[in-house]
Amino acid sequence: MENKCENLSLYIIGELSVDERVQFEQHLITCNHCRIEVNSLKETWQMLSYDVEEMDVPESLKAEVMDFIFQENSTESLVQAKETENKGSSLTQAKTAENLATLEVQEGKLKKRSYLDGLMAFLGKQFSPLSTGITAVLVLGVIGLFWSNHQLKENIVVLEYKASSQTQIVRTFDLKGLNLAASASGSAYLLEEGRDTVLVIDLSKLPSTKDEEVYQVWLLKNGNRQSAGTLKPDPNGNGIMTSRLPKDLSFDDIGITLEPTPNNTQPQGQKVLGTS
Amino acid sequence: MKSKTDEELIALINQKHRPALEELYDRYVKLVYSFSFKLTKGDREKTKEIVQQVFLRLWTTKRTYNPLQGKFANWILTITRNIAIDIIRKEQKQPGMVQLELNEWWQMEDRETEDVPQQVSRNLLKQQIQEAKQHLSEPQQRLINLLYWEGYSLSEIAKLEQKPLGTIKSRLHQTLKILRNYFSKETGGVPHGK
Repeated sequence: MENKCENLSLYIIGELSVDERVQFEQHLITCNHCRIEVNSLKETWQMLSYDVEEMDVPESLKAEVMDFIFQENSTESLVQAKETENKGSSLTQAKTAENLATLEVQEGKLKKRSYLDGLMAFLGKQFSPLSTGITAVLVLGVIGLFWSNHQLKENIVVLEYKASSQTQIVRTFDLKGLNLAASASGSAYLLEEGRDTVLVIDLSKLPSTKDEEVYQVWLLKNGNRQSAGTLKPDPNGNGIMTSRLPKDLSFDDIGITLEPTPNNTQPQGQKVLGTS
Repeated sequence: MKSKTDEELIALINQKHRPALEELYDRYVKLVYSFSFKLTKGDREKTKEIVQQVFLRLWTTKRTYNPLQGKFANWILTITRNIAIDIIRKEQKQPGMVQLELNEWWQMEDRETEDVPQQVSRNLLKQQIQEAKQHLSEPQQRLINLLYWEGYSLSEIAKLEQKPLGTIKSRLHQTLKILRNYFSKETGGVPHGK
């Protein structure tokens, strides 16, 4: 707080940067002391300008000042010239018309130029280098905001996807051992992860496999079989397999066979586990 | 034109009414000229340049003047001082600290209309300022001179005086307070901090 009160004098004499001034004006809202001081000290500062000897102004100055200002606007002085010319009755009409035509052409050119000049002058007057800077910063800020907004939206999409991709178990199956794997058992889980369907097979007490032998998982639908993958058990007889399934695949039962070789399209070996 | 207020004249100038500018010139040129003459230490060419720039500024400004913002004379003097200091600093090839349009307007904000210059004539004001200045110490007088009339910034003055900026800041605060107190005594009590 103390620090900001120190800026009072800089504020009065207009030596604060724009940022500092805005900050100080906010400080003024909360600081009684500064608020009480500021107006009367500003007035004092302005009164210093009356510490001046009155001078006589040169008579010729007015014409010089007005010429200086109105030469800035050549179109205007041309129009005035045209008006004067119109009043000049001593000129012949032809001569006047000729002059007017020339004047109009010049005027046209000047107008074109003066639109540009006018625009530049307008911009120059409307926007000090400082406000141009501020505008640039604001424009960059807006672009930045759009960009971060865009990024944020993408993040949200990803998050939504993640949220919707929470894994859900939609179906479980008990698998019972048959035949030479009568002691084996296991479970199968049908999971939905977002838009994907995943089958997880978790088996235990599987007889170990020899050579190229694998356990192959089949999905059964109306007597048709489709392979869902193969697995080899670990030395303790446990085996896990996950398989990503096509979206529209449906099946009623799961059967597992012991195949002599991997990657068979139809079962050749004996059925060793199944849902029923 | 003569019967119009300053406010009405500025409104006409905004509509590019030349006689209104000429009327404002007639009213204020003496003030602007005398003030610029002091700022340029009597350089007539520079004084002319400043006067031209001041009235060009009035001619091209898009702002409307509102008497509630303060006295017109104060506004035109603020413009004059900013333009003059800008010119002086350019000559000294020092980076300008003066932000023209911005300062001119914010300095006029929140001003009460019934201020001292309306109650007394300029000459009386001048007399009072000179009397008040007698109550300033030598460093305080030097500060006002360098700051107000020579256009040095506070940090430049701190360097010149070989003092920390904080010291110069509080010296300025003290100086303004002393001046305020003497102004108000002379004028029968300007309310402090209204």
